[in-house]
Amino acid sequence: MELETIKTKIKDAIQQVTGVDATGISDSASYIDDLGLDSLAILEIAVAVENHFKFHATDEELSSIRTVEDTIALVKRRMFAEVA
Amino acid sequence: MKRVAITGAGVITSFGDSPAKFHSALCNGERAAYRLDHSEAGVSVCRQGGHIGSFEPEQYLKGKPLRPLDRTGRMVAATAKLALENSGWTVEMLRGHDVGLVLGTMFGSVHTISEFDRRGLTEGPSYVSPMDFANTVLNAAAGQTAIWHNLRAINSTIACGATSGLMALGYAADLIRYGSHTALLAGGADEFCFESFCGFDQAGLLCRCNGHSEFPIPFSAQRSGFALGEGAGLLMLEEWNAAVERGASILGEIRGHGSAYDPAGNVECGTETITRAMNSALHDSGILSAEIGCISASGNGSVAADRNEAVAIHAAFNGSGDAVPVTAIKSMVGEALGASGALQAVDLLQTMQTGVLPGIRGLEQPGPEIPALNLCRDKQEITAGFGLINSVGFDGNACSLVIAGASPGL
Amino acid sequence: MTTRPAIAVTGLGMVTSIGTGREEFWNALLAGKCGFGPVRSFNTSGYSVHLGAEILDFDPRTHVARLNPSMIGRSSQLAIAAARLALADASMDLGTIDRSRAGVCVGTTSGEPHFIERFDDRYVQGEMARAGDGFIRGYPCHVVPGHVAAELEFAGETMMIPTACAAGNYAIAHASDVLRAGRADIMLAGGADCFSRITYTGFARLGAIAPELCQPFDRNRKGMVPGEGAAFLLLERKDEAMARGARIYCEIAGYGLSCDAHHMTAAHPRGEGASRAMAMALKQSGMAAEDVDYISAHGTGTPTNDRLETIAVKKTFGDLAYKVPISSVKSMLGHTMGAASAIEAAVCALAITHQQIPPTMNLHEQDPECDLDFVPNQARKCNVKVAMNNAYAFGGNNSSLVFTASAA
Repeated sequence: MELETIKTKIKDAIQQVTGVDATGISDSASYIDDLGLDSLAILEIAVAVENHFKFHATDEELSSIRTVEDTIALVKRRMFAEVA
Repeated sequence: MKRVAITGAGVITSFGDSPAKFHSALCNGERAAYRLDHSEAGVSVCRQGGHIGSFEPEQYLKGKPLRPLDRTGRMVAATAKLALENSGWTVEMLRGHDVGLVLGTMFGSVHTISEFDRRGLTEGPSYVSPMDFANTVLNAAAGQTAIWHNLRAINSTIACGATSGLMALGYAADLIRYGSHTALLAGGADEFCFESFCGFDQAGLLCRCNGHSEFPIPFSAQRSGFALGEGAGLLMLEEWNAAVERGASILGEIRGHGSAYDPAGNVECGTETITRAMNSALHDSGILSAEIGCISASGNGSVAADRNEAVAIHAAFNGSGDAVPVTAIKSMVGEALGASGALQAVDLLQTMQTGVLPGIRGLEQPGPEIPALNLCRDKQEITAGFGLINSVGFDGNACSLVIAGASPGL
Repeated sequence: MTTRPAIAVTGLGMVTSIGTGREEFWNALLAGKCGFGPVRSFNTSGYSVHLGAEILDFDPRTHVARLNPSMIGRSSQLAIAAARLALADASMDLGTIDRSRAGVCVGTTSGEPHFIERFDDRYVQGEMARAGDGFIRGYPCHVVPGHVAAELEFAGETMMIPTACAAGNYAIAHASDVLRAGRADIMLAGGADCFSRITYTGFARLGAIAPELCQPFDRNRKGMVPGEGAAFLLLERKDEAMARGARIYCEIAGYGLSCDAHHMTAAHPRGEGASRAMAMALKQSGMAAEDVDYISAHGTGTPTNDRLETIAVKKTFGDLAYKVPISSVKSMLGHTMGAASAIEAAVCALAITHQQIPPTMNLHEQDPECDLDFVPNQARKCNVKVAMNNAYAFGGNNSSLVFTASAA
């Protein structure tokens, strides 16, 4: 699973939710402060990513997502956990 | 008791997004419904349907992402924008004054609810969409619209089937007449979707399109059911003195309303029930039936309901119903469910303003069981100070509303 | 201002997970009985939570007489049961009333979800061809008041107000207006919602469902518990109720309805909309904050609601917020969605009648941010002349109803 694939999928999900081209968004972008998203939108992005990569995050993991980077880290952690 | 001024209106329809365009298209006999051949989930529904293919929410709703709103929410938010603009309410004014919203809808969006549920079934419950869940409640469109336009007064949703829109207008009017509300958007919306299209078809309520008549003609001898439409309509209602004080244009007035239920229950509404609703509206408005200058009937091609409504009009007007011009715009719009009553109200206002009543498209020969009424086959010129709107459900609900047109000197 | 006719509450009927009918329900509330258990009506093995507050022993044939119970959905069955109980409780002789002036106003979140759930089951299995007309006749939510009206042969205004978790309050407010305007002589006003897979799935996905307990205002609260139920209040103009010698529980003094216009699923962070609804209710009732003796809270048990609700109460009541007892019966019933505020309205009527208030159960360690008197764990005798019922819903729909003891 390539890092680029993960990033692309996350940014696709952001684009679906915001309607804005997300390819230029930096990994360190904060959902709330930089992208102006609310908790429902962040959850929507996270669920879309879960659905795509077919893993289940816990409620604690979901509620701790603040940035694009957090989302990438979650996917990597979960993908390797499910494969192992 | 205070007076309820109508100071503006907004519509989203197949005929355009302004009351004038809408009315003009109806007077030209255009129609929204066409033969739809829809196959989904192993079922084919081939019936008349009025889907608004040209609706582009981005045209009306700018500056914020649209993803949180489903299609019904987008239609309502767009219609609200049009109604607010039409009545002269600016963003600045909305910051300083609490305006409310009362929305009638039959389904909210059954499509959204169904898609949310189906994703849970096919992908698993943890992969459902949180944003779609927020739109599975019937008050979602009203809530989304309030967020979009900063509408902070009462936010209510009324579900009474096909009478929802007219009931919402009556509900909102009473809040102004008897309460302390001064400005409310009120009307209705419903979207066309497979779930309701299929549901109505399997219930045997849709027009059969037997080649004899390609689309439903209200009151006609060949009628066999209705065509499902869609749309959204909102009126801006204001307390009269407040409207005058802010210099609003007053397009008309809601004078009264009434509703009734057929205790036979969940059947096409009976004559007695519809008569009661009409008499109750007339009594509430203090207007005599002889003063009504035009009737916007609910007639949509339903076999029993059209007949029952015609007989009820005859009864409520003491046999003088054969004089009052009657139109049935569902001959062109189709049955737009929660939107119907609001769209009828918008068109009736335009009718009284322009002096032209749309005809009942395609009507040649009314059924023999239809009593002698002045059913307008073609558009005609009229002068009407007061109009009556009927909404009749396939499930026992009936509602009527009396509107006064703008009078000289306003 | 012209005098508004006083509206009396003369009958109460409810079906809940802890009791059916006024007496059983009230006694269960005072005893702190809870209705939670593992969800039985559908398989929750694919979910991370399994707790619900279902009604386990409801037999519709006990209550549904005129209609065929197997032809109507569960929400309608619960609603009919509650409606009949309310009418019996009011000793209302249906033979004497003009049925064209008897109406029904109901609130709901889901209406009849089992019909859409079956539709969807067939859809994914490719079995749509045999769906039949049951969907259109059974699903749209306005069939609930329709079925109640048909069961009782009521022929007046019949309306559904689907404003989700605040719907009961909206229905009662509207019904009181219908009576004040002289459009009806009696109104059954309330709410109904049966247990719904769609609702459960959605709240589970939001992480809003508690795994073990509903603990409103507790420091360790983890969420709400979806439930089901129905309740109706019978409303009449007070002078007519007195003329027929009816027992009057209380009066509906006024209400306030507002919209946050902020967010679909989260309340305003400064409690502004909720506070405005409370203030409007007090103003319409001719009351001041210091007159309120009891508040029936929305109190769902989610971290966010309970914190923001506390902020809203403080905003409205100021320092008086610390003096008025507040309890959440959702701590016992779970969240019965559209029925909740109708059940809670009945609780207010009973609090005024019996001069007692139910507890907030499972309140072991109060959240320091929720530092008001939430009547922890024990019912309390209390002088209650004025009670306020608060409820909040998706879409930022806020509602407050004020009930007062009826002066003779």
